[in-house]
Amino acid sequence: MTLTACGSNPGPTPSPSPSPTPQPGGSLTGAYTLQITPSAACAMSRTPQSFPMAAAAAGVSPHPGVQVLLDPNGFLLEMEVLSDVVTIRGGLGTTEAGALSDQNQRMWVHAMGTGPVQHASDGRGEVISGLFAGYVALAAADGAEGQLGTCSAADHAFTLRPR
Amino acid sequence: MTMTRSRSALAVTAVLALTRAGGRATAAPPEIVHVRASAAFAECLAPALDAFTRTTGIAASLTIAEPDPVEDADLLVGDDLEMTRVLEGGVADVSTAIDLGQVPWVTVVPADGPADLASASASGPIAVLGGHAGREARESLGSIAPDRIALSPDAAALRRAARALVPRSLAGAGERRPSHLRALVATAAIVSGSPRAGDARRLLAFLGSEDGRRALGGCLDPIPTAAASTVSAQAATAYAQAVVDWWLPQCTLAHNRYNDPEEVLGPPDAVNLGGNVFQGFMSLGQGGYVTVDMGATFTDATGPDVRVYQSVSGAGEPVTLYAASSASGPFTMVGLRVPCGTRTPGLFSNHCDFDLAAGGVATARYLKVEDGEIYPCLHGGTDSEGTDIDAVELLHQ
Repeated sequence: MTLTACGSNPGPTPSPSPSPTPQPGGSLTGAYTLQITPSAACAMSRTPQSFPMAAAAAGVSPHPGVQVLLDPNGFLLEMEVLSDVVTIRGGLGTTEAGALSDQNQRMWVHAMGTGPVQHASDGRGEVISGLFAGYVALAAADGAEGQLGTCSAADHAFTLRPR
Repeated sequence: MTMTRSRSALAVTAVLALTRAGGRATAAPPEIVHVRASAAFAECLAPALDAFTRTTGIAASLTIAEPDPVEDADLLVGDDLEMTRVLEGGVADVSTAIDLGQVPWVTVVPADGPADLASASASGPIAVLGGHAGREARESLGSIAPDRIALSPDAAALRRAARALVPRSLAGAGERRPSHLRALVATAAIVSGSPRAGDARRLLAFLGSEDGRRALGGCLDPIPTAAASTVSAQAATAYAQAVVDWWLPQCTLAHNRYNDPEEVLGPPDAVNLGGNVFQGFMSLGQGGYVTVDMGATFTDATGPDVRVYQSVSGAGEPVTLYAASSASGPFTMVGLRVPCGTRTPGLFSNHCDFDLAAGGVATARYLKVEDGEIYPCLHGGTDSEGTDIDAVELLHQ
């Protein structure tokens, strides 16, 4: 990219090169970051909460599945989804202890998510426009469930991006 | 009677030691039945335990805390949201579980202030019961800024509050208004392997007796029986006819015992075969689903249209329901994570009802029933994880 000084003749403006259209599909495997943004309908902080996750194929019958676990301590935040290559759909759940985010907040989730899968730059699959329907609660790291808000909504946003 | 209080982040614990009637000296220290009950029910139980001791001479202690973990308890009393995991995991014996009654939620407001807690003109903190039993109440206040909501498990703090959303048993002074929230159901069950199981059984039998109910009566309401079962009179065609699709996560398939989707077909028939062995339902695990064909297209009518029968435990295992006219969809959500613990007289399963109109659906033939508990499979520790679907019924067939 060329930076042009104010007042100088910029000359013909080159057309921006079209960004490549994301290709649908890609396998969800390896290290990911899950980011959850509570619905705009919720009276709670909408600061995205991030969690390091690890994804792996899990079963093929009756439909192919993918298991995405908090990394480490996978049992504290577990996502089990049905995968038909171009979309995923399934549940994200926490235990009674909730899960501590990279933002040092504790989050409780019991929600069903769905979203399109597309190829990330490294060739794996990623989800950049997912939605969760269900329960979300927030607290400080050592706070009680719901201390910083509790909300049920059908449009909490999530992304699952390679890390 | 002695009373001890200790504080923790999640619960206030009070212990009432009720000594043997008559105070006769014995060679060995008396056995005490340990009861663990959540705050909403403790106030109701104390006089009943006292009456039990007077009647039988068996001492009982009451610890005010969530039933899970059970610690040294012999008998647990908690709401569905608190009892689900201890009952399904076999920590408490589900075959001993009885419902003692229910406590409705109330809104407490100053007599001269706005009645609506969410009103813009209302100010000041709103006290809400913390812990699992308060989850649905907190969800109902989702539109109120969190800094106005004061969560507490402490009965005294809740009673002091000028504005509160609490079970009636924890309401203080101020004007009480009924709430639309699901009433908390007091379910009692004996802890598996309790060393004082014999005395715990006597206590449970007392609580279920006329004398026990009388002692509880001023505090616990009877559980409504409006949804009387008409199953035997219903034509078999009112129930799901065929499974057209299903999915359970691999983790669920590996850990759960009740994975057969055919179990959701036909009338409700789930039973407890003893202990924690069951028959007649499909456990949906973490986020699993089963899609059924009801056999014919049905139309939205006045009131609820579909009833889902859900087993083993109650409202702690919610159900999400979708409807479609074609087996391949598109499916429209009719209810999201609906508590499924309405008691069904004469049946082992509880139920929850759905109205097609809630999803804007006029007609449908296929219903997709999805787990709403969504609890981590790897941490589950039971062989019936997730919502346990016994049957799906059309109410206007």
